[in-house]
Amino acid sequence: MAKPKIAFFDFAGCEGDQLQIANLEERLLDILGHVEVVSFREVVTGHSDDYDVAFVEGSITRPEDEIRLKEIRKNAKVLVALGACAAIGGINCLKNFMAENVYREEVYGGSARWFPTYAARPLKSVVKVDAEVPGCPIDPVEFARITKELLQGRAPWIPDFPVCVECKQAGNVCRYEMGKMCLGIITRAGCKAACVTEGAHCWGCRGLVPGANLDAARIVMDRAGSDRKATQDLLRFFLGDTGAAL
Amino acid sequence: MNTKLFSPYVPRPVTLVEKTPLSDFVTRFTFEQDNGKPLAHKPGQFVNLSIYGIGEAPFSISSPPRRTNITFEIAVRKIGAVTSALHALEPGAKVGIRGPYGSSFPVMKFVGKDILIVAGGLGYIPLRSLLFYQLRHRDEFGRMILMVGTRDPKERIFVDEIADLAKSGDVEVLETVDMPDSTWKGNVGVITTLLPKAELDPGNTFVAMVGPPIMYRFVIAECRKKGIASEQIFVSLERKMKCGLGKCGHCQINELNTCIDGPVFCYTDIEAYQEAI
Amino acid sequence: MTTYTVYKEQLPGLFEKWSKLYALHVPARLREGFYDLVPWKKDLEIAWDYDVAYNSAKRFVMPPHEALITYDRRTCEAKPVFDAPKQILFGVHPYDVKALNQLDQIMEAGSPDQNYIRRREATVVMVFEPLTVSSSAFWASVGASSVAHGFDLYWTKIGPAAFTVEVGSVRGEELLGMNGPLLASTAGDKEGARRAKARVLAKARKNALRYNWEETPRLLAKCWDSPLWRRYSQMCLACGSCNLVCPTCYCFDIREESDDQLETGVRSREWDGCMLEGFAKVAGNHNFRPKAQDRYRHRYFRKGKYIYDKIGELGCVGCGRCVRACTAGIANPLKVFNELWEETAHEY
Ligand SMILES: Cc1cc2nc3c(=O)[nH]c(=O)nc-3n(C[C@H](O)[C@H](O)[C@H](O)COP(=O)(O)OP(=O)(O)OC[C@H]3O[C@@H](n4cnc5c(N)ncnc54)[C@H](O)[C@@H]3O)c2cc1C
Ligand code: SF4
Ligand code: SF4
Ligand code: SF4
Ligand code: SF4
Ligand code: FES
Repeated sequence: MAKPKIAFFDFAGCEGDQLQIANLEERLLDILGHVEVVSFREVVTGHSDDYDVAFVEGSITRPEDEIRLKEIRKNAKVLVALGACAAIGGINCLKNFMAENVYREEVYGGSARWFPTYAARPLKSVVKVDAEVPGCPIDPVEFARITKELLQGRAPWIPDFPVCVECKQAGNVCRYEMGKMCLGIITRAGCKAACVTEGAHCWGCRGLVPGANLDAARIVMDRAGSDRKATQDLLRFFLGDTGAAL
Repeated sequence: MNTKLFSPYVPRPVTLVEKTPLSDFVTRFTFEQDNGKPLAHKPGQFVNLSIYGIGEAPFSISSPPRRTNITFEIAVRKIGAVTSALHALEPGAKVGIRGPYGSSFPVMKFVGKDILIVAGGLGYIPLRSLLFYQLRHRDEFGRMILMVGTRDPKERIFVDEIADLAKSGDVEVLETVDMPDSTWKGNVGVITTLLPKAELDPGNTFVAMVGPPIMYRFVIAECRKKGIASEQIFVSLERKMKCGLGKCGHCQINELNTCIDGPVFCYTDIEAYQEAI
Repeated sequence: MTTYTVYKEQLPGLFEKWSKLYALHVPARLREGFYDLVPWKKDLEIAWDYDVAYNSAKRFVMPPHEALITYDRRTCEAKPVFDAPKQILFGVHPYDVKALNQLDQIMEAGSPDQNYIRRREATVVMVFEPLTVSSSAFWASVGASSVAHGFDLYWTKIGPAAFTVEVGSVRGEELLGMNGPLLASTAGDKEGARRAKARVLAKARKNALRYNWEETPRLLAKCWDSPLWRRYSQMCLACGSCNLVCPTCYCFDIREESDDQLETGVRSREWDGCMLEGFAKVAGNHNFRPKAQDRYRHRYFRKGKYIYDKIGELGCVGCGRCVRACTAGIANPLKVFNELWEETAHEY
């Protein structure tokens, strides 16, 4: 059987995710022994390339991104969104809550080069996405597992429950019991509650869990003493493209 | 066997010997046990089938019990990870199985009685095991009536087999589809519409039914209307399953574990359980 | 059973010996107000007066992730995986041992779960009579203040530096006697233990069911359609915390991962919970408990009726962990059972 061809592409994002994959080094070699990497990052428009799996990172922030992404979609049998920006819009969506000039100033400083950008959005608002490796940055262990699942011919599994499950499995003391805030109650698990385990709290980088009870979550945060502004900032940090951020 | 190394979570290998498409999404798979022994199941039981790297899922055994033959059949709808991977296999491939697990239809109770078999959608798959067991011992049973309901004609499975049964005269067959197309000449309507069409001897008839969750309530109501008592009605219920051993909790219906207390239940035993039907 | 009197100064020597043979876990303070069983090391301060261990003892006999089998994709062979580290749980409270005994019954029934049984057999359980009671605990009112079996030694603090130790197994007695002959408890010491128990029970009874716990299954049988389920479950985040922290909850998922060469792999069980939205969801997205209230009610029925109907005990030992773990503040069995009792009081 011919080795499946895989390709990597990126849009607006920090490329942190490809870094994570590079960090897998040895393991990647084993897994990549089963695949042929045909392209890392550049896609030639109009050139009918084909690949079995396209891993795409970054969010869509400009009209021309859409054209490129649709091209990738056309050539790929399976399209996987890699990282928070691609899967849920991620941090790039923060700009959606800022005035254009403020944002431009913050990102490009005084030398505001001008090219048209619009509200940042995840890949799935432009094309059909077959699978996600969520997270900011992605968890290389999860990336490896998902890649292996794809290679074995199954639709990848990602948890459909909140971070709290993995947090309890890890035995952490809940941030709320310590009088602190945490978005684990509405965020999709899969990171093994990394941030809580390391002593911080969940920021929601893996996106909303399906069926997240946002009304209840707001009340929980309220009761824990978070003021509206703090709650909103937390919710906008990664979840800007979801109903949570309103 | 070294009992020290025994774990109920370990599947044993079986080999796929035949693969027959039954409809666009449903395929029959015939396996042979690598241990050279018959499966020794009872009609209504299931196996947990493993495709390593993908997962494990429960499937009803569709063939009747066989005394010497080491093959058995399942019929599977392609719907998720395991079922898709299964469809991608070719004869010669090996998979793992655990089981047979679960309760079965009480065939001894049916001896000398009429049996009404009600199959909605894929429900014919497990009922086939019962049906062919009874046919093998045809003289021991009274009338055999088979009712089959499918959503649309394209989804019908085991079409030729059911036609042959009807022709054989051993089984009275009534069939219907919910949404007919131009090819369909038979009954139209949900499966409950077949019940009034059959003359039954309520005191002497047992009912075995398998179908989608919504079917049960209506068919049972029709049976009761005909005067068939709860003790004479047997259903097979489907739930999410993982362990098949009564441990993992997924398959619960109130306090019952579908994997060990079921999947076949006498209606009297579940009538009081709100989550059952 | 024999009871010995042991003095505090004997403990370091015993711990030293035990820790060479077993992984020894003892109660310690994690941070202000939080305690847990942690690996023992020399000079670690034991939290004798801990109110509740943050994580229950079930993780020692049924870890959150546990390999069940290894498989080989090339040959389609599978082998069991058994991992049963020798461990001593020193200082487990009686209600948590009662929970372990419940897990034993479930895991031993029908097809015995060898993975669980082996771990349990390799685990030495040393009970410790609590000195303080967590503000959310109510174990005294659900029949979980004592255990008669399921432990190797039962420790009770009878003075600033003295304990009575009731023997529950030969293994326990041998461990206790490792540093030389033991002193049988005097009648006075035993009386001291009895009084210590009475003292903590008095504290524990402050938080109580308004009725005899054995009525719970009958109470619930009347409450299937109570409006309470919907009212509370509106706040439910389906986070499963109440399940996962519970010492008697044992539900698990089974998942697998192949190695990087895609040749072999491991299938394991992972803690799961009936409060999670997808727990009863099958392929094709049909969910047998689609609504938050279905799942919420199911958990209380498990705790108050289903387990009882199987083994004659409540599936809740009153540790109060779920009460604290639920960020939405709705997972409190004591509160829910009492409210249902009030709701139906007129029927009695
Ligand atoms: C007793 C019993 C008998 C069955 N008999 C048949 C049959 O004869 N033919 C057939 O096509 N299907 C049958 N099913 C349904 C079949 O088990 C599911 O379609 C199958 O589990 C889907 O697995 P998947 O990996 O393809 O789907 P996914 O959606 O990827 O499911 C992942 C896992 O969840 C569990 N799961 C999902 N759906 C179900 C379900 N409906 N029932 C139990 N567990 C589930 C399984 O562990 C499965 O591997 C039966 C189910 C039960 C409980
Ligand atoms: S700390 Fe956060 S993730 Fe962990 S249990 Fe609490 S809310 Fe959930
Ligand atoms: S804990 Fe939350 S923010 Fe941290 S990695 Fe997990 S999902 Fe992302
Ligand atoms: S239900 Fe709550 S209080 Fe009862 S045993 Fe479980 S965690 Fe403890
Ligand atoms: S801990 Fe609370 S919010 Fe989470 S599932 Fe349990 S009841 Fe619902
Ligand atoms: S499938 Fe695990 S308890 Fe029934």
